Amino acid sequence: MKVYVNRIAVDVLPGMTVKHALIHAGLLKEIEASKKVYDEWGNEVGLDGALSEGMKIYIITMNDEQ
Amino acid sequence: MKRLKIALCFIFFFTLAMGSAYGGPSEIRILYVNDFQGFAEPYQPLGSNERLGGIAYLAGRANELRKEKPSLLLSAGDMIQGNNWANLSQGESVIELMNGMEFDAMVLGNHEFDFGKEVLRKRISEARFPVLGANVEGMRGLKPYVIKERKGVRVALLGVVTEDVPISTHPKNVTDLKFLPPIDTVEKCIPELKKDADLIIVLSHIGHPIDRILAERVKGIDVIVGGHSHTKLERPVQAGNTIIVQAREHAKALGVLDLTIENGRVIGFEGHLEEIKPRIGGEDKAALAIVEKYKQKMDAVLNVRVGEAEVDLDGENVRKRETNLGNLIADILRHASGADVTIVNGGGIRTSIKRGEIRVKDIYAVSPFDNYIVAIRLTGKQIREALEHGVSAVEEGGGRFPQVSGLSLKYSPSDQKGSRIKEVLIAGQPIDPDREYIVATNDFLAAGGDGYRAFGEAIKESRDFSIIGGMMKGGKVAYSESGRWLRDVVVEYLKEVKKVSPRVEGRIIEVY
Repeated sequence: MKVYVNRIAVDVLPGMTVKHALIHAGLLKEIEASKKVYDEWGNEVGLDGALSEGMKIYIITMNDEQ
Repeated sequence: MKRLKIALCFIFFFTLAMGSAYGGPSEIRILYVNDFQGFAEPYQPLGSNERLGGIAYLAGRANELRKEKPSLLLSAGDMIQGNNWANLSQGESVIELMNGMEFDAMVLGNHEFDFGKEVLRKRISEARFPVLGANVEGMRGLKPYVIKERKGVRVALLGVVTEDVPISTHPKNVTDLKFLPPIDTVEKCIPELKKDADLIIVLSHIGHPIDRILAERVKGIDVIVGGHSHTKLERPVQAGNTIIVQAREHAKALGVLDLTIENGRVIGFEGHLEEIKPRIGGEDKAALAIVEKYKQKMDAVLNVRVGEAEVDLDGENVRKRETNLGNLIADILRHASGADVTIVNGGGIRTSIKRGEIRVKDIYAVSPFDNYIVAIRLTGKQIREALEHGVSAVEEGGGRFPQVSGLSLKYSPSDQKGSRIKEVLIAGQPIDPDREYIVATNDFLAAGGDGYRAFGEAIKESRDFSIIGGMMKGGKVAYSESGRWLRDVVVEYLKEVKKVSPRVEGRIIEVY
């Protein structure tokens, strides 16, 4: 399954979650630094959230722009 | 005067009760949660500086909100598996809690299947509320939908779960079950529900992006209460005439949606999420008692003796050399997944176990992460590359250092990174660079954790998955069981074999 983290394509297995996509993108540490993950509509999503094919997620701080 | 007051009260409540019947507007409150996953106690999420959640506080707030308006308390699934508080009773604790909180309905989430069909049937039979799954065929006790009445308004609650369940839980957990496409299922049910209900609410465990597609494709849904994607929808989203809501995860939020209904139509709505965190006096005492009761039971389970170590089990040196505990864990992964070999990161093993009795809590300390087993087909060349990466930070004590099973390797720590591996044998034979082997690992490495790229490359080549003969097939994935933590697999293994005495046997040899 292909998802996009900050516009970069990442391949994950079915059953894998937002956390796995961030690990794949090497960005999990960003969450420890108080950044958050948002979906393409600007809603925050949890690290255990399920992914779906083609889903786009972004790691940003409150002041960053998507 | 007293009689007059009584008469006025009677007229007031009679008017309220009959409002809907005579076509006047009615107000109904929908309270909702999703993806609780057994997080009963408040906790500090990664990146947060405060403790959030706590189901007793959520229950307390739900009680307050229910007093204000006729309400329905709903769950969009993934309730009974995840945190140890739920897992150690196989979800019994959660159902008891939900019964106490007087939930009106829940839909099954994919993780409800993680303890197997028999356990799920038992949980469904214990629930004093309907458990829904309109697109699941073959599961006794499930209902496709129910109709509840509030203030004269007939509310249909229809439940659907992701059709990906068979590839996100172990295949044995869903044998003989059929998962139909959720959107088609909802579309098929709507005309029937329209006959008997004024309002149609879909409890959906398919994720927010798919909820939006559902709302666009299927007309006639008033509200979608979603789950699965753990989306924090601070305000309801409107897609056509459908309102979509979802309340984050782990009891960190309680969703509130107030609907104004007239002549069977939603004419107004307002919604928000109530953030849940500990507040003095805000807890529901009965819910807290259930949380405490199962915490005590959890402590008892953690103290259960599962086996005996006949030697000290070394978890200290797992980042720099082969250890007997590393061998044991790697062997268990290989055994559980049926793989040819195991490569697992030493950094995932956190402590040692002294010779003597092994208790559940010892295993949980060794393997505290919520990791699960994955097995992927890699070529001999990819395995060698993975091992090169594994030994590339040995001088820094990097967590990537491999603990292995089914293979042996010789490497030179003094050589340049990337050319340290000197020999790899699988089943005693030199590794064939072109042949595919099934390699067990954990989901962390499979996702590219600790910098391992080989698994990710293989996953990239895997496009289509299906279940054949109880195994995940398709591309490069041979095994994946996301609903069972590695530590629980180790506990089960030890219960079975009772005594262990693993040795360092030359699987990883330094050469100079």
